Amino acid sequence: MMTAPQARPAVPPVTAAASAPEPAPLLDVRGLTISYGNARGTLRAASDVGFAIRPGEVMGLVGESGSGKSTIAMAILDLLGGGGRVESGEILFDGTDLRRLSAPERRALRGDRIAAVFQDPFTSLNPALTVGRQIAEPLIQHKGFSPRQAAARVQDLLSEVGIRDPRRVAAAYPHELSGGMQQRALIATALGCEPKLLILDEPTTALDVTVEARIIDLLAKLCDSHRLSALFVSHNLGIVNRICQTVTVLYGGLVVETGPTGRVLSRPAHPYSKGLVAALPRITAGRRHRLPSIPGTVAKLSGPPAACVFAPRCPFAEEACRSRPQAMLTDAAGDGVRCWKADALAGIPWPDEDAGIARDPKKAQPRSAPLVEVDHLRKIYGANRSILPWLRRAGTVAVEDVSFTVGRGEVVGVVGESGSGKSTIGRALLALTEPSAGTVLFDGADLTRRVRQGDQDLRRRAQLVFQNSAASLNPRKTVGDAMDRPLVLAGRADAEERRKTVAGLLTRVGLPSAYADRYPHELSGGERQRVNIARALATDPDFVVCDEAVSALDVSVQANILNLLAELRDEMGLSYLFITHDIAVVSHIADRVLVVYGGTICEEGPTGRVLRPPYHPYTEALLSAVPRLAEDGQETPRILLEDAAPTPGGQGCAFAARCPRKLGAVCDEQAPPVHRTDDGHRIACHIPLATLAERAAVFPELAGDAPH
Amino acid sequence: MLAYTLTRLVYLALVLAVMSVLIFLVTQAMPGDVASMIAGQFASKEVVDAIAVKLGLDQPLIVQYGQWAAGILRGDLGRSLVLEQPIAPILMEALARSLVLAVVALAVVAVVGIGLGVLAAVRRGKLTDQLVSGVSYLGIAVPDFFWAIVLVLIFGSYMKLLPTGGYAPLSDGFLPWASHLVLPVVTLVLMLLARIARLTRSSMIDVLQTNYVKFARAKGMPESVVILRHALKNALLPTITVLAIDFGLILGGVVVIETIFSYPGMGRLLLFAIQRHDLPLIQATILVVSAAYCLANLTADLLYAYVNPKIRHGMKAA
Repeated sequence: MMTAPQARPAVPPVTAAASAPEPAPLLDVRGLTISYGNARGTLRAASDVGFAIRPGEVMGLVGESGSGKSTIAMAILDLLGGGGRVESGEILFDGTDLRRLSAPERRALRGDRIAAVFQDPFTSLNPALTVGRQIAEPLIQHKGFSPRQAAARVQDLLSEVGIRDPRRVAAAYPHELSGGMQQRALIATALGCEPKLLILDEPTTALDVTVEARIIDLLAKLCDSHRLSALFVSHNLGIVNRICQTVTVLYGGLVVETGPTGRVLSRPAHPYSKGLVAALPRITAGRRHRLPSIPGTVAKLSGPPAACVFAPRCPFAEEACRSRPQAMLTDAAGDGVRCWKADALAGIPWPDEDAGIARDPKKAQPRSAPLVEVDHLRKIYGANRSILPWLRRAGTVAVEDVSFTVGRGEVVGVVGESGSGKSTIGRALLALTEPSAGTVLFDGADLTRRVRQGDQDLRRRAQLVFQNSAASLNPRKTVGDAMDRPLVLAGRADAEERRKTVAGLLTRVGLPSAYADRYPHELSGGERQRVNIARALATDPDFVVCDEAVSALDVSVQANILNLLAELRDEMGLSYLFITHDIAVVSHIADRVLVVYGGTICEEGPTGRVLRPPYHPYTEALLSAVPRLAEDGQETPRILLEDAAPTPGGQGCAFAARCPRKLGAVCDEQAPPVHRTDDGHRIACHIPLATLAERAAVFPELAGDAPH
Repeated sequence: MLAYTLTRLVYLALVLAVMSVLIFLVTQAMPGDVASMIAGQFASKEVVDAIAVKLGLDQPLIVQYGQWAAGILRGDLGRSLVLEQPIAPILMEALARSLVLAVVALAVVAVVGIGLGVLAAVRRGKLTDQLVSGVSYLGIAVPDFFWAIVLVLIFGSYMKLLPTGGYAPLSDGFLPWASHLVLPVVTLVLMLLARIARLTRSSMIDVLQTNYVKFARAKGMPESVVILRHALKNALLPTITVLAIDFGLILGGVVVIETIFSYPGMGRLLLFAIQRHDLPLIQATILVVSAAYCLANLTADLLYAYVNPKIRHGMKAA
């Protein structure tokens, strides 16, 4: 289903806001300082933080992980826990300082006047209680509803958040609902008592982009129609741009910039804000372009800062920055920036990433045979042939008839949402899962069979980097030991030589070689991911599968790792299968893109071609869901997809149930034909290619730089 | 759910069939010849052979097993050689007494153990937590026979409050029945409490850190609701498994405790059978104990489904 584009409520001009009588803020945080104490000392999570949210206003609180944004949200809810303590400051809600209230008084406000929605809908609902009962709880607790009255109100709330069969959903248990439905149920819970303030802590981060687009749309509508104020905690500037009127940027527990969203994102004043905006991956057709990144990691404070907290990572820093802490400078309109050089830096953008090694990319031999050939790959999970008739099961189709190739030195992006089968494809290419049907040829050899026969060399040549950088490293082994293991397995006997190799690899991925003696918990997320990459490179592979390798990282670090991967490809002639849900990230690194849905490839082609019409309807929806900043051009109408589960393994097109351009019964009943063009672009759709080509480009700015 | 239960019952039957073969073979391999034991030390070879023929001991093993297994399927557990009575009523009586012991002891362990575990988790790291850990460890660290003897000395011999052993049927009145149960139950509770309390504590700590507990607090639910409604039900899964294993354990006979308190349950019956080399009684007792274990585990798995709707859902799909 397609909905008309949502006009975002325009940001009021700064001058008008300044001259009109200022309404009293609903939430006014002043001088908030929060510490976490443990045996090793105290850590400042927030220092002298202040901001205000007016009635009906949505304020974004942005910053990378460790900036203290969630801590502040939890402090407002009085749910700090884990040794967190508010040292000083005021949290004025509707004129009352929440810190002066008793714990039961604050509890009575929670869920009633101040409601919250958290990051991960999959774990925020209690698996043992029905969804309806969980939505009803605050109504019964705060409003004195009888269970019967509450049940009626629950149905209304579920309809309001866009759930079409509220009766079924209310009676369901959480695991029976999709992620989008669960998040809607949580939003319904928050709305129940008609709160004045919503605390939204990364409410869409765990969701697929197409679902995220719908949830953001819903939240924007609800805030508008209920005149709700909201504190929107997020690391995603594109999302903040869609929903927030004002934004507060946090760094190292300090507010470094505040102002209207449009201004801050288009003309950021603080160097850190400039860096965040620059590092956001945007859709681009020029894949050789390096993403700007912010080097280093967030500073951790134990007391009041002695210098500018951002100075160690700031490209504009000079001596004066390192000798005294920065004060918040506020202009006439009330915008603030914590940088004494802000005026001097106005209009100066974050420096572009040094193209660095301007080495020519290793020339791939385009005519040689591809490195990886996947032919009619099929994978079914959970099939069971039992002697007991009631146990027999056909299984769930994860991958349905997928064929593609990866050339030498080529980066193939696989884009799709959760459940699309993209990770299964990656695992099959490393022989970590055995295909139910079809073949995977690696350098001409049948990978599955060779590995089963104990061929270690093929294993050595194909490696893997996972999403969760922490879980992929054994916490009890040092970085050096973790990297030593694949070398031993590869038959490198000389310990001294192995030690040198490890040091060399660490240097190669931009880490000091002394890191070999560190344990994983002593590293930041970005550093750990570098170690994982170094470990994957230890056996000198030809092919690396990156399964959401940058998805869990902050944008600043994400850019950094993407650049590293691109460099390694150029220098070592590596091939990647780059699996991600983020089509913007893929456009930065991939030569070719596969768009997968429900276990099938719906579109494949050179990156530049996939980003331009003709689109597969799913690709079009994916592209339109990519969050964008105002400076990137006019927002095109977003295509909002129903949150329905894909139906792989059926007769028709896997996307039929959610397709906004579904033709009719033919989509459900027959597998879509594949339209091919000469340049290797293929689209599997019942809609004729000419009709698909009539659609306007989602990114018109790409039209000019066609590669052909 | 029905399909799941059905599947489990099929597996249960398979397990018991395999068990019966094993039990039969193991008891055959035991030293000593049944016929000569019955005949006595001074009997002639002819007498012994006659007894063997009468008991069918001259038949090949497979035939003997077939007759034994067929009898069990008909509900005939055979005759005890020593007591010269049908086994079934003896066994059922002992099983009923063990069942009483198991139910009462486990009820106490479940209530006290889960309660202490929850308390310790909520007061994690505080004095209450350490106290609960300390006391429950004392229970598990000191062997059960020591507790049994200490309890007998204090409450039986010294204070003369409770009988030191034996069993009174319920038909003798509630008080005598209950008073005979107190000491064995308390000993069992001391033995089993620590594990349940520690297990509940650790899974409760995990659950208290989940997002849904945080969200329940964000909804403004009182702490009692957060703990009892949101956390406890999810924290009980591992506890249920261990409780079921403990149930099987007591039902199968806790030999030491039954011996010290002269409690005539399965443990003492088995001990008696082994000491007297009463093969049919040994076989039947072990088979019933195995069945009890399997049934206890099945009950635990069905309870799982009751507590966790996700598992229930999986069963529906099965």
